[in-house]
Amino acid sequence: MTTQSCSSAVGLGYRSAISDWTRANLHRFDLLEITVDHCLHGSKAKRAAIFDLVGQIPLTAHGVGLSIGTDVPLDLAYLDQVADIVERLAAPAYSEHLAFTRVPGRDLANLLPLPKTEAVAESIIAKVQTVQSHISVPFLLENISYVFEWPDSKLSDAEFLNLICRETGAGLLLDVENVYLNSRNHGFDPFDFLDSLSPGLVQEVHMAGGIDLPQESTERVFFPDTHSHPVPDAALDLLDYALTRHGPATIILERDDRLDRFDEILDDIARIRMRLNARGSISHAEPAIGPAE
Amino acid sequence: MPNRLLDLQNNLLAYLTSSAAIFGEEDATSVDPALRGIDRELLHLEARFSHDKRLAKIVGAFPRTFELFGNQQAAVVREFVQACPPVEIGRIENVRQFHAFLVTWWQRHPPNAPHLVDVAACELACAEVRVDRDDRPAELENDDPRAQQGTIRRPPWVVLCRCAFDIRPIFEPDSRNSVLEKRDTRLVISLPPDANDLEIFEVNPVGFDLLFMLDDWTERAVFAEALEARKLIASLAARKLLEVRV
Repeated sequence: MTTQSCSSAVGLGYRSAISDWTRANLHRFDLLEITVDHCLHGSKAKRAAIFDLVGQIPLTAHGVGLSIGTDVPLDLAYLDQVADIVERLAAPAYSEHLAFTRVPGRDLANLLPLPKTEAVAESIIAKVQTVQSHISVPFLLENISYVFEWPDSKLSDAEFLNLICRETGAGLLLDVENVYLNSRNHGFDPFDFLDSLSPGLVQEVHMAGGIDLPQESTERVFFPDTHSHPVPDAALDLLDYALTRHGPATIILERDDRLDRFDEILDDIARIRMRLNARGSISHAEPAIGPAE
Repeated sequence: MPNRLLDLQNNLLAYLTSSAAIFGEEDATSVDPALRGIDRELLHLEARFSHDKRLAKIVGAFPRTFELFGNQQAAVVREFVQACPPVEIGRIENVRQFHAFLVTWWQRHPPNAPHLVDVAACELACAEVRVDRDDRPAELENDDPRAQQGTIRRPPWVVLCRCAFDIRPIFEPDSRNSVLEKRDTRLVISLPPDANDLEIFEVNPVGFDLLFMLDDWTERAVFAEALEARKLIASLAARKLLEVRV
């Protein structure tokens, strides 16, 4: 088995709502992840607060507004703006979701999955190449959590990601929580998914936690992507397992709700570091835990 | 096949933003054939998640309006969904879209409280001054070449709202048993950059009309000859309801 070093930097997804707290606790993080769209659309004060971080702590760039999967040409003006932001942040990479959120005239503001076919992959490959020609740093695609699947999908999640990344040289931003949620909602083994990713593909990692959502109409329980609660131990186990085959440069804790639970945020960071440290002190020849039964 | 994926995506978003998907009120024929292979229950869930996120933005801006809807609330939301699919992701865009819908809705359905129209307008004004401070786009913050020495304007953190009722008590902390006076009331909603809390107060008709006129940089000299106007401008500027470039 390929082994990887565990020298990943651990940081937090920057949120303006807890800017003061984040600033006062910079020493607790190795880096912050900046959402480039907040640099484009936020108020002057919020944008100034973000750019003020440059030089104080390493920053990486993440996007939510590209909608790379919408079957229309990419918004090149938006990409040029992103390129400027990435440069100002001195970010080593720029990531976006492999998804679509809108079509002309309608914006769902939710990440939606794509049909996983070779034809769709071809279209995405061309768009990734366009992104790469506009942005000077490596481009990473992030796996999303999805509620439904397209019936005409022919490829697995991992095959779809591997194909696009192989053809473009793009890396993967592995959202471990999304893998965990998808595996519970759609009944697959998350360890199999991680095994199926091309070795070394994962360049960055997102960690988060959410809640269970019982459905009123059925006995089904759905696990939505809320980024609102502590990272579950099962997701940390998946992180451990991913680290046996991948050496991500960064691991980012994402939190979008209950942002004032600073104790939970710091505890999550500590738990991620503990997993990394434990990996650093043991032989990496085998994964720390085995696949789920 | 050209545009096949875009067709699918268009159909999907049309469905996910429909009242049929959001409220589960469809029959089998209301689902586009291209989407019939997708688990219907999961499509409902996706539609509901997205709708709830959008509605949270709207309810967050119109808390008193929604309370006053009473038993009309569900009907209002349902018709809004049918008439106004989400066009943009932003909070203020959805808030404005909802208020524009209400204005037309009330032409067909009289509001169940006579002051509801005023409350909704005032809550929209509150949202506008907040967005000015929190989410103002970059281009509005650039130095405006028209803002020259000796010019004045109503700043973007001041929004005017003329009401048929004095609705201010509704915006007080304990407003449950407020008695509202029906009278022509000219309100100013203000949230200056250095203030923590939004203010709602009444101004006299002359002050209101002056503020109404000054929505862009204007030569102060236009008003200089009238002593009363000068006093009024000084008074409004002191309350940060006018920006003055000296």
